[in-house]
Amino acid sequence: MAERLENTRKFQADVEQCMKCGFCGYFCPIYREEHEEKGLARGKDQLIRSALQGEQDLTKGFYEAIDNCLLCRTCVQYCPAKTRIDHAVTAARADYVAEKNLPPAKRIVFRYVLPHRRLFGLALRLASWFQGLLPRGQGRFRHLPQFLSALGAGRAIPDIAPRFLRTILPERSPAAGAPKYRIGFFSGCATEYVFPEIGEMIVDVLRNLDCEVVFDRRQGCCGAPVYLSGDFHTARKMAARNVEAFEDYDYVVTGCATCGSGLSEYPTYLADTPEKKERFERFAAKVKDFNKFVIDVLAADLDRLTLKPRFHGKTVTWHDPCHLARYQEVRTQPRKILQALEGLRFVEMSDADRCCGLGGSFSITHYDVSRKIADHKSDAIAACGADAVVTACPGCMIQLRDALARRNMDVEVLHIGELFTVRPQSKQT
Amino acid sequence: MAYEQFANRLADIVGKANVLASEEDRKVYSYDGTSTWTHKPDLVVFPTETEHVEAVLKLANENRIPVTPRGGGTNVSGGSVPIRGGIVLVMTKMNKILSVDAANLSARVQAGVVLMDLQTALAKERLFFPPDPQSFLGATLGGIIAENAGGPVCLKYGVTKQYVLGLKAVLPTGRIVEFGGSTVKNVVGYDLVSLVTGSEGTLAVVTEAVLRLLPLPPARKTIIALFDDLPKSGETVGKILDAGTIPAKIELLDNWVVRSINRITGMGLPEDAAAMLMFECDGTEDVVEHDSRNVIRVCEEVGATQVLVADDPAKAQAYWKARSAGFAAVFGAAPTVLAEDVTVPRTRMAEFIQRVTAICKKADLEVTVIGHAGDGNLHPSVMTDAKDPAHFQKAQRAVDEIIEAAVEFGGVLSGEHGIGLEKQKFMRRTQDPIFIDLMRNIKDIFDPNGILNPGKIWEDRSG
Ligand SMILES: Cc1cc2nc3c(=O)[nH]c(=O)nc-3n(C[C@H](O)[C@H](O)[C@H](O)COP(=O)(O)OP(=O)(O)OC[C@H]3O[C@@H](n4cnc5c(N)ncnc54)[C@H](O)[C@@H]3O)c2cc1C
Repeated sequence: MAERLENTRKFQADVEQCMKCGFCGYFCPIYREEHEEKGLARGKDQLIRSALQGEQDLTKGFYEAIDNCLLCRTCVQYCPAKTRIDHAVTAARADYVAEKNLPPAKRIVFRYVLPHRRLFGLALRLASWFQGLLPRGQGRFRHLPQFLSALGAGRAIPDIAPRFLRTILPERSPAAGAPKYRIGFFSGCATEYVFPEIGEMIVDVLRNLDCEVVFDRRQGCCGAPVYLSGDFHTARKMAARNVEAFEDYDYVVTGCATCGSGLSEYPTYLADTPEKKERFERFAAKVKDFNKFVIDVLAADLDRLTLKPRFHGKTVTWHDPCHLARYQEVRTQPRKILQALEGLRFVEMSDADRCCGLGGSFSITHYDVSRKIADHKSDAIAACGADAVVTACPGCMIQLRDALARRNMDVEVLHIGELFTVRPQSKQT
Repeated sequence: MAYEQFANRLADIVGKANVLASEEDRKVYSYDGTSTWTHKPDLVVFPTETEHVEAVLKLANENRIPVTPRGGGTNVSGGSVPIRGGIVLVMTKMNKILSVDAANLSARVQAGVVLMDLQTALAKERLFFPPDPQSFLGATLGGIIAENAGGPVCLKYGVTKQYVLGLKAVLPTGRIVEFGGSTVKNVVGYDLVSLVTGSEGTLAVVTEAVLRLLPLPPARKTIIALFDDLPKSGETVGKILDAGTIPAKIELLDNWVVRSINRITGMGLPEDAAAMLMFECDGTEDVVEHDSRNVIRVCEEVGATQVLVADDPAKAQAYWKARSAGFAAVFGAAPTVLAEDVTVPRTRMAEFIQRVTAICKKADLEVTVIGHAGDGNLHPSVMTDAKDPAHFQKAQRAVDEIIEAAVEFGGVLSGEHGIGLEKQKFMRRTQDPIFIDLMRNIKDIFDPNGILNPGKIWEDRSG
């Protein structure tokens, strides 16, 4: 049998950083709603420390504490002692899952549905058929009826797309000009099944910026929702498959903040041998968020970006996804793009990098708090007067649309890739 | 003793969701900001209105259940640790700012409001609450009042007790009382507001407070001065004050902290600096201009090796951030850090720091001294490891000596953190017995059954 708390022990030094000042409370979106110590990084840290000292069993109460975290890293960003509670919580979840297994719903989804692309598609088809029976909200959103309260009573969920990205996008999209790079496009589940048109648009932008784009069919789920929930075992298989598929490209580009950070963190959580660690690190270095790739890697001439006519005269604001701003340090790049788009007005909302409250499955298991956290976002969006909120994370988009719909706010939620097209290489150069 | 049997009755008062009794919940309410004190409560109770506190205390008083009030749990004296078990009464869900009265420069708040949230709300009206404990991100006003907290700006603005006009509180017997009022001048009888302020949660549970505010100074400036010898920094502080300038803050950092700031921020400060002073002048533009010129002049006259002026807010912010980083580095520098809170007369500060250094050198211990130089409040921090008994004992002995030295220099053993559990053993040694006796008698009047935060400030009669 594996050593008890094998994963957590690897992050023992992180756990022991905490000096109990409690400053995390000010930054924790959950604590700011609940005001209870167990929700706080300090509380979680103390429980995990206690487990490492052999004074705390992996009880239901322990799981509730470590499960009640968005992994938004806001507290990590400001922690004076630089405590990596995100590492500690993720590893503690893994040890819990290893000892006690996942809750049944997550078990089925992670172990049987997510790893099998075809089955996933089928399951979603079936779901979309059921969705047809649900009351329709605005646009492509539906309201979940009361009896599905496990998924959050009254919440708006997106329609499953009529055609998945795989059936729309060719495997290879040639560069418009002389190819600069050969890149692998990592769509991620939400883009593949819910927002396939965003996937198409991103690929189109990259192609016109002279990249050969391959939508490699071998890709699967990035594994982030799986390993961040503690199922390292399943996620290792997913990681193996994605690394295998993508390691020969110049870059792996994704329009999903969570996938980007999810792929980049393979070495932290999933490398169980030194060889794998090295291989995962090499792979992670190739992973680039769409914004970062356009600005930092391609250093694209932003004059070539043309705002789509339907956005002319609109005012937009940017929502920083946690997985972009805090996990990948991508903050300035999307703002540069938005500010460069002629005909568009850009305004900052207050606390643009405040978590939207989704936290993956957190929004399903803790919908009540998740919704309250999202309401602060709606307030900030309303106050800045934007017609649309732009971001680069399909997860955040789903959450924001739900939040804005609940308030009947007439504000669009867009992926940055939807806003513009790229003019072919300008003639004057 | 176990009090689980009362959980249902408490739930009737505050609601089921506001009574916690799981092993994990009890564990996370067993500690505060100290590294040594922990004790689990039997029950965790969250009131959301004053009447809840009233009913909980009545029940507790009738049944002799110990009750320990708790705010943000950031105190560093063991104050909110429920050392006798019973109920931890957590005030964090009473967190509303009830009103801000700009015309009368006052605000009414519930006890669980976090200081930073209050300051953010006040800043919108160009007001502020001057006491600035550096734990403002976690400390609640109830805890700040109970500890009579102060921070860097208290040199110019004073400490919490100067900014509490009135209190709504509940006595341990379950009686709601209102002390003080909402005016600055008030001499109606004994000053019970001041008595409760700084009583470390042993006399009453504060549920609301009327606070005195000031207009936010329109301008401020940060100045840093480095010295190659410690007494010079002490001399500088004295001379600046003599020159009639009272900066809002004068912070003192020693060589250890200067080096860690360099390491963390790459600021490139002189590595051999024996001391660094950080000043902040605030007020109107011309006052700030005048005061900072004074500060710079004196620093240069006394012989600072380097004087840096932050000309813009971003730079000033970077300096203060560097100071916090240096501060935090102290706590990460060793498995256990014994951070003291002595205060000595300003004029003897340099001499005292030299004594501290000598004590630690003799015992072969690493120590760093940071502090609020304007008021002589110093935090010598001794690095040790509680898991290494021999080393830990040695460190504790050094701390004993440091505290005795502070008293010998005419100082006190705690400037702002309170006595709680951490400093009890020094109370008897350093205080006149009549002082402790009077306090005990006052405590008996407020709390005849000794249920409120028992075991704090002074040692047991038996012990
Ligand atoms: C990094 C750090 C920096 C700090 N800097 C400073 C500083 O610069 N200056 C300073 O003075 N202190 C400082 N402190 C100490 C601490 O933050 C203060 O003592 C603060 O006032 C405690 O507030 P709290 O809400 O956390 O109270 P807690 O720690 O929860 O409780 C403190 C005491 O108050 C009592 N109490 C709490 N709420 C109530 C209430 N509503 N009614 C009655 N009693 C109550 C408790 O029983 C306990 O005895 C610092 C602490 C840390 C960790």
